[in-house]
Amino acid sequence: MPNVSLTVNGKAVSRDVDTRTLLVQFLRENLGLTGTHIGCDTTQCGACTVHVDGKALKSCTVLALQVEGKTVRTIEGLADGEKLHPMQEAFREHHGLQCGFCTPGMIMSAVDLLNRHKSPSEETIRHELEGNLCRCTGYANIVKAVQAAASAPRG
Amino acid sequence: MTYAANPKFAVGQPVSRTEDPKLVRGAGRFTDDINLPTQLYAVFARSPHAHGVIRGIDIAAARAMPGVLGVFIGTDIEAGGFGRMPCGLTAPNRDGSAMVKPSRVALAVDKVRFVGDPVAVVVAETAAQARDAAEAVVLDLDPLQAVTTAESAMAANAPRIHDEAIGNVFLDYHYGDTAKVAAAFAQAAHVTQLDLCSNRIAVSPMEPRCAAGQYDDGQWTLHVGCQGPFATRNTLAREILKAAPDKVRVITGNVGGSFGMKAPLYPEYVAVLFAARALGRPVKWANDRSESFLSDGHGRDHQMHAELALDRDGNFLAVRITGTGNLGAYPGQATVIPASANVVKNIIGVYRTPLLEVSTKCVFTNTAPVGAYRGAGRPEANYYMERLVDQAAREMGIDRVELRRRNHIPADLMPYGTPSGQTYDSGEFTAVLDKALLFADWNGFEDRKRESERRGLLRGRGIGQYLEVTAPPASEMCSIRFETGGNITLTTGTLDQGQGHATPFAQVAAQRLGVPFERIALRQGDSDDLKAGGGTGGSKSMVSAGKAIVEACDKVVAQGRQIAAFVLNASEGEITFNDGRFAVEGQADRNLGIGDLLEVIGGGLPLPAHLPQSLDVEHIAQTPPSTFPNGCHIAEVEIDPATGVVRVDRYSMVNDFGVMINPLLVEGQAQGGVVQGLGQALMELVIYDESGQLLTGSYTDYAMPRAEDMPELRFASHPVPATTNPLGAKGCGEAGCAGALPSIMNAAVDALSKYGIMHMDMPATAPRVWQAIREKAPAL
Repeated sequence: MPNVSLTVNGKAVSRDVDTRTLLVQFLRENLGLTGTHIGCDTTQCGACTVHVDGKALKSCTVLALQVEGKTVRTIEGLADGEKLHPMQEAFREHHGLQCGFCTPGMIMSAVDLLNRHKSPSEETIRHELEGNLCRCTGYANIVKAVQAAASAPRG
Repeated sequence: MTYAANPKFAVGQPVSRTEDPKLVRGAGRFTDDINLPTQLYAVFARSPHAHGVIRGIDIAAARAMPGVLGVFIGTDIEAGGFGRMPCGLTAPNRDGSAMVKPSRVALAVDKVRFVGDPVAVVVAETAAQARDAAEAVVLDLDPLQAVTTAESAMAANAPRIHDEAIGNVFLDYHYGDTAKVAAAFAQAAHVTQLDLCSNRIAVSPMEPRCAAGQYDDGQWTLHVGCQGPFATRNTLAREILKAAPDKVRVITGNVGGSFGMKAPLYPEYVAVLFAARALGRPVKWANDRSESFLSDGHGRDHQMHAELALDRDGNFLAVRITGTGNLGAYPGQATVIPASANVVKNIIGVYRTPLLEVSTKCVFTNTAPVGAYRGAGRPEANYYMERLVDQAAREMGIDRVELRRRNHIPADLMPYGTPSGQTYDSGEFTAVLDKALLFADWNGFEDRKRESERRGLLRGRGIGQYLEVTAPPASEMCSIRFETGGNITLTTGTLDQGQGHATPFAQVAAQRLGVPFERIALRQGDSDDLKAGGGTGGSKSMVSAGKAIVEACDKVVAQGRQIAAFVLNASEGEITFNDGRFAVEGQADRNLGIGDLLEVIGGGLPLPAHLPQSLDVEHIAQTPPSTFPNGCHIAEVEIDPATGVVRVDRYSMVNDFGVMINPLLVEGQAQGGVVQGLGQALMELVIYDESGQLLTGSYTDYAMPRAEDMPELRFASHPVPATTNPLGAKGCGEAGCAGALPSIMNAAVDALSKYGIMHMDMPATAPRVWQAIREKAPAL
């Protein structure tokens, strides 16, 4: 089995993997980072969204070997120790989640969104989140949470 | 220690959820996040054909693949002494005979009956090895003709799916007095008729189904996302494993949504348990989404002829619903209730209709079994009625608001007995309607319509005034345990799937006991903890668990009063309890808080044997009667006649959920219901082709609402406390669907009425709407 080495949530990791291992499988099975979820198999739902070199990416559609040498951040790497990331805090405060299954991917997408749009309109937020499905919330409080995070002070 | 309730967590406060800090970190424990030591992985070989006789299943090649430890088929499971998939429902046919219940082996043995029907389970060291080997299972079939709609399944020349079910009819359901209803229609001044469908839905909770089975020296454990581990354990023990209940444990962690779909026992769960015993190692299985589309229970799929009889003044005389429910391939996993009993209960809604008749044929087809989906027949019944009301108003030239007002059950008739046998305890339907009209700015519509027309768009408005009959009474438990150090563990038999039970349940207990909200944790999801528990479904958890919690708290207080009397050297009758403190009546300085009492007990003070030795209680409650949440939703849509695209532009709702324990979560539930209703109304449809192949097998083909599809959802309340439960609450979980289907579809038809279009079937997708417009206005 070939080896893949990369940085995940600030730590260097190196593992031998089956060539067809997807990044999401690598994170969940090899590294035990089960916060990244698998909600579909067609790159539609976005539950598996992580950041690769700072950009949001659906980890179900990339092989682990393709991220050799890259830097991956997952939902587990977002908070600053005990302190939630402002986006996590906004989702919590505004009831932006119900079952919580789409939430890690939704939050990772939303963080990426704010990296690219400093003060997005509601329309922009809704459009940018088109790659993330939520079956529970009706998106109302997700949009509210992203708006709140956008206007929160950033560290 | 400070040990008192903080008013900011009182009942009625919008407290944010205690589970969220975990969930937003990705630290939830969903079933697929659990890995058991030495576990193996299962993948299912599924039928690629909708209907056929099994000639053979060749597993030799699969068995020889790398990493494979076992391949099992239905005959193995039968030989292993496992019971067949149960069907708990019993309902009589209209002729009095019992409904047929064809049995099902977890893995098909004689025939396959839908695409996705599991025929073999392959177990290997890794999931990838199991998947490779499942591809190598060879299914030898004699294909049979498939039927995918209720109509085609009932046709004279249709193939029979189960030998027992003549004409493929599962249940021939009837309710009502046929002669009286016919007489009412005969004397009616006006009869409105519509053919209405409730389109088939892929339920699609974002977490796919998953299960892990374990067998260890006679003890079975199943990790699975379900809607109630107590009932799942009992069914599994009694029907499948033929084991004593204490030999079977069902454990449920976080559930990533269910909406009715994860409630039944599925064949995959049986197969992983079988394989775990056969191989002596735990076996885990996780469905791919593609498999979920094929094998999860679908929702809805009813086709009804709906009729409303009115007198000259527009008073409703009778309603008659006649049609079919497509139940898919197997009973058990499927449920007849949405197409039958729940139509009866809910078709009356908020109106004084004195007579009703419902006749439904529930029919087997070569499609995935159809089970419960958010509302399970309630939203459909409200949809049927509200479409009839709008249509009748249009046909009779009566204003649709006025026609509703004229037929409302007035508040002063409460409690009101309906002809479907329900007793409404409370409700102010005219007030709810009036409030909704104001909230939605009903009267400002014409200005908005002109503005839409300036942009070349049609605009329509629609009312959906609903009343839901939530789940009937059952038994439910609550135990309260005071841990060393002062934390409190509540245990209930209801099960959270995202609704957020922990917070409102703790709000209730904190307030009743006068203890700190922050100290209360909710425990659910382990059948070993439970002595009763109907699980969660039918919008009943706050009401049923709420009553159990209230009564359990009362028991804690009763025990505390006895112990406090001993400690304070008073008689029990002298002890009062207020805001978490026991005191001797009239001597306020002689008092003890619950925290003090815990310290005394924890400190080892010997208590006489006749006294309770702790404050802990385990309580089983008879749950309250159904509640009757109701409301009025008003939608405004814009339709582009050039493309047929329907967009909901404004959505306003006024709901009566009685006393809202936590309005933040109630609003979230209502919003979630509306998005699922909007999806069904405008986008979602499961499509099989004539041979029974699923055409909508991924999210690229099955349209589910995304953030951009949703309007702002404006929420207001008109709470009228329920009188039949101690909290005054009414169920809120499914109501959003009930308001959304009729309000959105009435709005769409209102907009399209410009072209003389009087009805659109759900989902009102762009191609359908475009086609309907072109048929009426070819020149456009």
